Amino acid sequence: MDREEYTFQALLVDDKGKIPIEAKYSAKFAVQIKFLDDQIREDGYEFRNLVFIIDDEQVDLGPCRFLTQSEGDGHAGYLFFVGDIYDLDSLLFHKKKVILQGPFGNLPIILEHKHKIRQQFKDYTASLTYDLSVYKNLFDSLDAEYAFEPEMVRKVVQQTIIANEGKTFFEYFDSQLRELQRIVADFSKEEHERHGFYFRKQVWNYITLTPFMRRTNLKPRGYSGDSAMMRMIYIKEELGDSTFSKLLHKHCIERPAAEAVRNRRTLIANTLINKLSNSVLSPGERFKVLSVACGPAFEIQDLLSNPKDCEIYDFTLLDQDKAALAEAASLVGQIELNLGARIKVGYLQESVRTMLSTLRLASKLGQFHFIYSMGLFDYLTPPVARAVLWNLYQLLQPEGEMIVGNFHVSNPNRIYMEYWGDWVLYYRTEEEFFNLLKSGAEAARSTTFDETGIQMFLQIKRLR
Amino acid sequence: MKNTKDTMKVTLHPDWDEIEPLRLQAHDFFGSHGLSGNTIQSLVMVLGELLENSVKYGSYKVLNGQINISINITKKIITIEVTNPIDDSNLDDLKRLDQMIQWVRGYQDPFEAYIERLKEVAKKPLHDKESGLGIVRVAYEGDVILDFFVSEDNLLTVSAVLTR
Ligand SMILES: Nc1ncnc2c1ncn2[C@@H]1O[C@H](COP(=O)(O)OP(=O)(O)O)[C@@H](O)[C@H]1O
Ligand SMILES: [Mg+2]
Repeated sequence: MDREEYTFQALLVDDKGKIPIEAKYSAKFAVQIKFLDDQIREDGYEFRNLVFIIDDEQVDLGPCRFLTQSEGDGHAGYLFFVGDIYDLDSLLFHKKKVILQGPFGNLPIILEHKHKIRQQFKDYTASLTYDLSVYKNLFDSLDAEYAFEPEMVRKVVQQTIIANEGKTFFEYFDSQLRELQRIVADFSKEEHERHGFYFRKQVWNYITLTPFMRRTNLKPRGYSGDSAMMRMIYIKEELGDSTFSKLLHKHCIERPAAEAVRNRRTLIANTLINKLSNSVLSPGERFKVLSVACGPAFEIQDLLSNPKDCEIYDFTLLDQDKAALAEAASLVGQIELNLGARIKVGYLQESVRTMLSTLRLASKLGQFHFIYSMGLFDYLTPPVARAVLWNLYQLLQPEGEMIVGNFHVSNPNRIYMEYWGDWVLYYRTEEEFFNLLKSGAEAARSTTFDETGIQMFLQIKRLR
Repeated sequence: MKNTKDTMKVTLHPDWDEIEPLRLQAHDFFGSHGLSGNTIQSLVMVLGELLENSVKYGSYKVLNGQINISINITKKIITIEVTNPIDDSNLDDLKRLDQMIQWVRGYQDPFEAYIERLKEVAKKPLHDKESGLGIVRVAYEGDVILDFFVSEDNLLTVSAVLTR
């Protein structure tokens, strides 16, 4: 039904009693009414209660004010809420009671949350936000100077500023991050959480200004580390609406932690190719590869450089996120187009946490020569990481190999990621990572690192 | 049932009345490891919420369906695991649990998830009584990291990890 045509019976209550009315939806926060008792009320008259009947249930909406209307469409006028303001869209069309001012109810506990913030931390944050606003004003005023230049000129001028003054800003910003790291060094988990929350409230403007951090904070897909974030890291694209936002974005994706993500892409490809060259395939047999939590699956480009390569592999790409699989599929389509060959690839939208019950994975997929998973174990706590690893292990053929990644506890950008990016990982030591595989497994295993020392790999070979 | 000094394993019938005695037993177990009163209290709260969910959402049609509890204490972490059987009727529960846990863990400060959730809960459907606050409360007040996994034999284990 057309919302604007939606009319219904309701009741108004004042000191004299109940007045039946006919109400018509007119806006999210107002209804248009006719009195059914033929009395006239003056402009501004207040009623004690407005009552809707929804599904035979009486819903009290509290006090409201009547305002007369001049246009003669048969209605007497409008009702507006004067206490709680109800969202009539939600109420009438979704049967949900939503009060506009509802979030104010949480105000006390949110304001309370800032107590227990250490003075030194407050001072640090205040001084940082002052400096950032000075920097931002400066860069913005430069932008304004060349805003009307031809595009080409603008670009070159901006590049020059990024290379020179940008560098100065980076030095400043790095020193501030070191200072932050020093201040929070002895914080407990709970203190990190509370101070991080406080911190992001102060620097929120700068977070939303920065394409990368905006996404890591808002998490539009409901989880951290989605394929769009990975893409930003992989492509290292220049993003941002102003010089200052470009600088902040660039700073994020040039950190060692981002470098480690880029490194793992090539490392995976190399390990896989190495394994392939040491494997004996029977005639017609393909090299079966499973990528778990595949994301955009950029590394596939590194594996396939000519049409012949496409005949070797049989890929299975698994991810919980439809959008990530779609990105992977479009990349595969692109490679197929470029090489003029078909790639054998299956897509599975599954969560690693539930895939065993929904999939009967082993019986459905068979076993693999090679399994890899990069940005997954960083999100699994030990009991779950152990279970997932064990199950992946069982999906290996005898002699099959698996490589999984995890960020090492020493990640120098951890505080930056957590405080600015609201991005928390489950970090592991080498020993913890190594011991994730159950003792029952007949396997050879080793841990290695990328060049930054941040990205740690656990390599497992199934012996039997 | 296997118990060592650092591990407590118990099996329960899916019955509301069994929860309280188990909470007491866990309380003593934590106490015997010299944890602070606050920590014990919040861990017992976490266990209680997980148990309630198991009783509420588990599928016990299978013969002898029961709940398994395992608590393990090491120097670095404390792990609580609660396991219950599920079946095909739980598919929506699994999706919800999966989304909820990843969403909560997406915030550095679980307090933020708690606030967001309170806002959602305030938008009450007229005929629905579910709170959907349990998981979020566990993360916020218990300060544990939640995770879960479903095994091949359709056992769901929800785990809470407290790092020390
Ligand atoms: N042990 C469990 N077995 C199956 N589903 C569960 C279990 N625990 C939680 N869930 C699912 O996760 C949802 C969120 O749980 P919770 O936050 O405790 O909210 P509530 O118990 O109020 O519904 C539940 O509604 C249910 O769908
Ligand atoms: Mg619950």
